[in-house]
Amino acid sequence: MIEIKNVSKSYGGKTKALNNINFTVNDGEVFGFIGHNGAGKTTLIKSIVGIHDFDEGEILINGKSIKTDTLECKKEMAYVPDNPELYENMKAIDYIDFICDMYEVSEEVREKNIKKYAKMFEIEDKLNSPISSFSHGMKQKVALISALAHDPKVLIMDEPFVGLDPKAVFDVKEVMQEMLKEGKIVFFSTHILDVAEKLCSRVAIIKKGELVKVGTMKEVKGDKSLEKVFLDLEA
Amino acid sequence: MKKYISLIKACFTSEMSLFIINNKNKNKKQSKAVPIFIYCLIMLCFFAYANMFIDPLKQSNLAFIVLSLFVFLTAILTLIEGIYKTGSLLFNCKDDDLLLSLPIKRSTVLFVRIFKFYIFELLYNTVFMLPVIVAYAIRVDVDWTFYLTSFFMILLLPVIPIVISCIIGVITSGLSSRFKYKNLVQIIITTIFFVGLMYVSLNLQDIIKRLTENASSLNEIITKIYYPAGAFVNLVTDFKVVDLLIFIGINVGLFALIVFLISKIYFKINSRTKSISVVYKKDYKVKTNSVMNALIKKEWKRFTNSPVFITNAGLGLVLYLIMCILVAVNFDMFSGLIASQGFKITEAEVVKYIPIVSVALIAGGSFLTSITSSMISLEGKSFNILKSLPVSTSKLILAKVLSAVLVMLPFIFIGNAILFIKYDFTILQMLLVLAVSVILPLISELIGIIMNLKYPKMDAESDAEVVKQSTSATISVFVGMGLLGLTLYGLFKFLKMYGTDMTLLIITGIYAVILGLLLLYMKNKSVEEFNSINV
Repeated sequence: MIEIKNVSKSYGGKTKALNNINFTVNDGEVFGFIGHNGAGKTTLIKSIVGIHDFDEGEILINGKSIKTDTLECKKEMAYVPDNPELYENMKAIDYIDFICDMYEVSEEVREKNIKKYAKMFEIEDKLNSPISSFSHGMKQKVALISALAHDPKVLIMDEPFVGLDPKAVFDVKEVMQEMLKEGKIVFFSTHILDVAEKLCSRVAIIKKGELVKVGTMKEVKGDKSLEKVFLDLEA
Repeated sequence: MKKYISLIKACFTSEMSLFIINNKNKNKKQSKAVPIFIYCLIMLCFFAYANMFIDPLKQSNLAFIVLSLFVFLTAILTLIEGIYKTGSLLFNCKDDDLLLSLPIKRSTVLFVRIFKFYIFELLYNTVFMLPVIVAYAIRVDVDWTFYLTSFFMILLLPVIPIVISCIIGVITSGLSSRFKYKNLVQIIITTIFFVGLMYVSLNLQDIIKRLTENASSLNEIITKIYYPAGAFVNLVTDFKVVDLLIFIGINVGLFALIVFLISKIYFKINSRTKSISVVYKKDYKVKTNSVMNALIKKEWKRFTNSPVFITNAGLGLVLYLIMCILVAVNFDMFSGLIASQGFKITEAEVVKYIPIVSVALIAGGSFLTSITSSMISLEGKSFNILKSLPVSTSKLILAKVLSAVLVMLPFIFIGNAILFIKYDFTILQMLLVLAVSVILPLISELIGIIMNLKYPKMDAESDAEVVKQSTSATISVFVGMGLLGLTLYGLFKFLKMYGTDMTLLIITGIYAVILGLLLLYMKNKSVEEFNSINV
């Protein structure tokens, strides 16, 4: 479970990037985080995964605080950034191995998972290539494989569909459904509202650092489309 | 014209942060105090050196020699700096895609790159030259023409070294871009150029002798060796507007010519340096490593992938090895050096001091090599990968320090082995020298990482900007030089008072304490600084 309690963060003591954010993501949920550019989605995601500090509040991952039990929390999570800035000088397989080493994944598990996801994303034959030779989409696939290779309980993704080809988008959705069945958490931000509408059990909408709506898809959109609700809130 | 100004402004935004005092941000203001203090200290040192030289020369009306001497030395330093960073500054920059897609000429992109290089060298040269000019103006009776000439000299001093560096950079990158292992070839070619420069420097006496055979005055000699130095002295001693205009014209003309010529092949070479092919191979093998091993391997891959990073780190270490070999092979030169320090000793006694010399050499090799001072900055945007890992921050920092020390240790141990084999060391001396061999690189690399965490530069466009031009790298080099000076001073002082073994013990003890303090600082303050870096 991810519990976000009264989280606030400001930049330079002035601009409030996040203002008193409160919501919970339960086990076995695909949770969509929606908002326009600069609304605070990435700031909150980076705070959840322990990359950014926040000024007030608390974030708990399966009951452990990201502030005090940082390493324990990180071990349970995998993070896929919006812009995959990977180690360009490494081969793809070396990068995935490096991430697996950090999560202390056994050789058997990593071999099984790398094989499974490399085949799924159709980059098995490119794993020996340097990452610097990859396109944005291919880098995103490497980031996804390295995130999934250590069987995380919580998968956090920032705009995971950007740059992916339609087949890869479909595969990511499949992975999400698979994790859902295993009772794991998938938390992701997106601009693609129909994807969020089809995939998410619950969503949160953020505007200028403030949470404006959170709940099940039905609670948030009622009879309208998610796009309509989102545009109305933005108006 | 407006768009060119915008372009230059955009390219310099991140570079100039050190020179903009932001009153609203107290922390940033404090963090600028250290570099400003160090730059002031260097300027004061140069002011003192210049005064030291001017005083005796003034009596024989030859004070102007100081000006040409410092111009020459600064130009040589700029050239050495430039040789191995130009390729990385001009080609394969991160903002290439953006700049080359803009509706501007390719030569303009190249101009911006060289201009950025020029501005950095201008600031670097000013730190050395300004105190000399001020000292000269105070000690020698000068008029307004001196100030005018000096102003133009400072402005134009970096031009010729930059032009030569650019030519070498283009040759190096152009040739290496044709090969599969571009980085390796670039390192080899750069090393060849560098060894060539070292050879010329070592044989400078012969070259000067040949040049001066037909020279009738000292000024003529200087002019023949390095035109700007001679021209500067000519203008200071006998100012003529025409000469000043010729001087400006030659420098500006050379700068424009090099931009024009390189722009003809710039795009072609730049495209070739970027070409990396995707390898299609179904077989791959997973390898399991411990967390620390994996982190060290990752750092090594980053290190071996950057020619400018390798050549920068390698210089001090190679010089250290050469010095060890010289001490082992050329004993006469070495004993002469000892005697010059005021030690009236026999040859047998000189051998007694070899362990001290060994420590002095290790200090030189260690303190003049700072690999970690750019390791945080080189992470760039991928820094967030490190921050998201389930690994403690102190372990992440320590891995960087250890990986750098592991690069240095083989060189230092080979140097030790040469001296251990050639001279008789007691067991205690060997143990102490080996202890110093580990402690000093650790100190040097801890200082580097501490500085880089204090002054990170996460938005650099090329490796050279971080490795050669960043605040942390510059401060680390000067702190290293200071520590080297203190070590040498301490060694000679203690040696005179306590003898070889006791001096070794004291020095090892002092550095062990410093190492402990630095580790403590790293575990607390540096961890905080690491966590506060937001990319």
